[in-house]
Amino acid sequence: MDTNPEKPSPAQPDPERPTAGTDAVARQLSRRRFLSLAAGGGALGAVLAALGPSAWLSVWDAAAAAEAKRSSSTSSSKAALGSQTGRTLVLLTLYGGNDGLNTVIPYENPAYAAARGPLAIDPTTVLPLGDGYGLHPSMPKLAALFKDSKLAIVQGVGFADPNYSHFESMDIWQTAVPSDPSGTGWLGRWLDATNSSPLRALNIGPVVPTALVGNRIQAAAIAPGPLVLPGTRGDQALYRELAATSSHMGTLQMEAAESCADLLEVDRTLGPVLDRDAGSTSAEASAGALAIANGGGQSSSGNVLATQLSVVANLILAEAPSEVYSVQLGGFDTHADQLPTQQTLLGDLDSAVSAFLDSISTTRRGRDTVVLVYTEFGRRLAGNASAGTDHGWANVAFVAGHSVKGGFFGDAPSLTDLSEGNMIYTTDFRSVYATVLEQVIGVAPSRLLDGKFPQLAFV
Amino acid sequence: MAHDLTTQLAQLYRRLAFGASASELQRALGAGYAATAAALVAGLSQPDPGADTIATPAFMTPPADPAVLRSDPVARRQLQQQLSAERAELMGWWIARMVASTNPAREKLTLLLHAHFPTGISKVRYALYMYGQNQIFRTQGAGDFAALTQAVSTDPAMLIWLDAASDEASDPNENFARELMERFTMGIGSYTQADVRAAAYCFTGWRFNRRTGQFSIAPRQHSDAPQVFLGQSGINAGNQVIDLVTHSAASYRFIPSSFWSLLAAPTTPSSQVVSDLAPGYAADRSIANLLQAIVIHPDFLSTSTGDGLIKQPVEYVVGALRALGIPAGAAATSVRPLVTVLAEMGQVPFDPPSVGGWGQNTYWLSTAAALVRWKFADQVAREGDISVVADSAPAARLEAAGQLLSIPNWSATTASVLRRAPDPATMVALALVAPEYVSN
Repeated sequence: MDTNPEKPSPAQPDPERPTAGTDAVARQLSRRRFLSLAAGGGALGAVLAALGPSAWLSVWDAAAAAEAKRSSSTSSSKAALGSQTGRTLVLLTLYGGNDGLNTVIPYENPAYAAARGPLAIDPTTVLPLGDGYGLHPSMPKLAALFKDSKLAIVQGVGFADPNYSHFESMDIWQTAVPSDPSGTGWLGRWLDATNSSPLRALNIGPVVPTALVGNRIQAAAIAPGPLVLPGTRGDQALYRELAATSSHMGTLQMEAAESCADLLEVDRTLGPVLDRDAGSTSAEASAGALAIANGGGQSSSGNVLATQLSVVANLILAEAPSEVYSVQLGGFDTHADQLPTQQTLLGDLDSAVSAFLDSISTTRRGRDTVVLVYTEFGRRLAGNASAGTDHGWANVAFVAGHSVKGGFFGDAPSLTDLSEGNMIYTTDFRSVYATVLEQVIGVAPSRLLDGKFPQLAFV
Repeated sequence: MAHDLTTQLAQLYRRLAFGASASELQRALGAGYAATAAALVAGLSQPDPGADTIATPAFMTPPADPAVLRSDPVARRQLQQQLSAERAELMGWWIARMVASTNPAREKLTLLLHAHFPTGISKVRYALYMYGQNQIFRTQGAGDFAALTQAVSTDPAMLIWLDAASDEASDPNENFARELMERFTMGIGSYTQADVRAAAYCFTGWRFNRRTGQFSIAPRQHSDAPQVFLGQSGINAGNQVIDLVTHSAASYRFIPSSFWSLLAAPTTPSSQVVSDLAPGYAADRSIANLLQAIVIHPDFLSTSTGDGLIKQPVEYVVGALRALGIPAGAAATSVRPLVTVLAEMGQVPFDPPSVGGWGQNTYWLSTAAALVRWKFADQVAREGDISVVADSAPAARLEAAGQLLSIPNWSATTASVLRRAPDPATMVALALVAPEYVSN
């Protein structure tokens, strides 16, 4: 899952791999320490001498590139927050490994019913999409979006040499570095490389997923509900001083201080919108936070994803400066009794995403918002004897939005040409990311991904 | 840099307990570091009169056959309501135990084991089962890790959580077999997918009695076929699998690495410190001895270990309540429901987000969590007993706040801010959100 332990890895950074290779060194440095070092040449020189220059090249390159980019546009930091494409990304993570085969269902393929047996969805209830595929019956609104060409379905997404682990697979998806998924998130690297405010990406819920964690910058996070700082103005001024990092602190203490500084920035920028839009009572907000902290899923009361997305919708409608939002839904690890669990979860996904897109259709910013839905792996073709499915390989991803070019992308994996009983991926998941980076975020994918990946035409 | 004894002892108490009171620290200074460490570890197998003042709630016995409820919506709703109430009681009970504990290392180890074997009531549903697992951590956690793993694996909570209890011989699900090796005992890379399949067959037919919790193996659902597992042939029983994984060379490095990461600073099984700890652990697999070896290892008191951890939300909340003398029950009414506070920080005890449990360190450092910490700090500082600070002369308050919160040394930045706090309560509130206190 999205654990992000500080790994004091002594591994030698590889200058050939700018996006991931700096991790070992740069993780030992926090954002403000780096910035203050970069500002004072003497101190930086000392660190460079200690670490070896190759470690620094890419970090330095990224910061310099960001600086160049900033000075070539307008000089205010507000402008640096402005999206390059005018588009907004909502990253929707399904935790547990959603069974894509029972989500986008090859219901006309006899191999499907044969392999799935009692877990096969009744073909008469499947919502047909064409080409022999149909959506799970609990997803009528996404089926309508597909017909409306506002939903792209990427088939056969995955990566080589999968190993069935939730954690490693999710780390691979979130770092986009299958060979070493212990480093920064793919969007965290974007925050780093553009020297962004943490607010440029915003997680709804208390724990920021690795995807949005860079070496120097971690995306901001908010809970649903109003944002009210405690204490008097005087207390808050003291808190602000406390949040100033000191070179005498260790790295983690410095990161703790930075999270406080970032909170003040969140409050300054988003506080007014969040307070105005907090329609729910504080009790409702607490219940929402509780459910979100629990990862949503079976235990939660109500649709936690809808709660998160309603916060995002309000921020988008208010023209908040964030360009990437992150929301999540858990509970997809259906080793046993899969049918009722998945039905509930996919129903929540269907209603939350469709309501979200409806609510933001009134503004240009909203119409230019793109939702990417992914999960760590697909599940095995054959069901198990517990009326569930085990961890598998290839899967589907969804891209939804008013400006999305809907339809099927990627090749559907074969149901007969299997490996260890698993469907084999046809589309590297980084093709999805490359498309999103270039077309939605407006940054060259080669700077953030380890390799070149063909883009898909879904935006 | 060698720390002075006060600093060393404060760190020992923060890591192996929930911080030290002024009197505990005073006594420890007399006893010295080694004796204090030994006494804290000895507490792992001793009673806890403080925690035992918290009444254990009576949890319902699960219905023998929940299927009958499917046709009875009224009974089903009643059951839901009761389960939801019991869930809150269970969480409140454990938090209250940690706050009231007079033998806090034992509750701390229980918490660390919950992080190691994360299991969630969201799927297990019945508080009684979660309570049962929690008692295993508390009463058997300090002993032989192999025996502990056998006990946890055959207990209802884990059998439900990782679907072993629905496993059948024909085509076993791999959930428990995989997580047993990946998360609980050996670490990724020390086994193959074929090992996972083989182990899954060995765990088929594992069942328990829903009312008594008694473990059994259903012969007709159990696959007797001999498997090759970790290179050993003829393996066909789940307890053999657990025996092999807990006695493996990989486990002898994985477990010391895991506990070092929980108590000292993140590390990997290949590190030097793990090489130092592994032989001792391999000799007896005793968690008590492992914890002892960790806290007396020279690296434990190094500067980097001193900045090696961020407090988990449970540690943060429990530590603050203990320091300020606020019983959990009182905090729930005068501050806010503690489970809500913890949920807003991202950590609900008994309900980890997934089989992976919680992350560590920067995982807890979001801006959302920072706000919740600050609000909580502000409330408890005004609610709690801060007389040691308030009664001190203004010039001595900074040191008193450090004593109250087990932080002997404030940075120059923090010290300067705290000295300018308008009143003692604000000083304590700010101290509670200072980087020195947020880290552990």
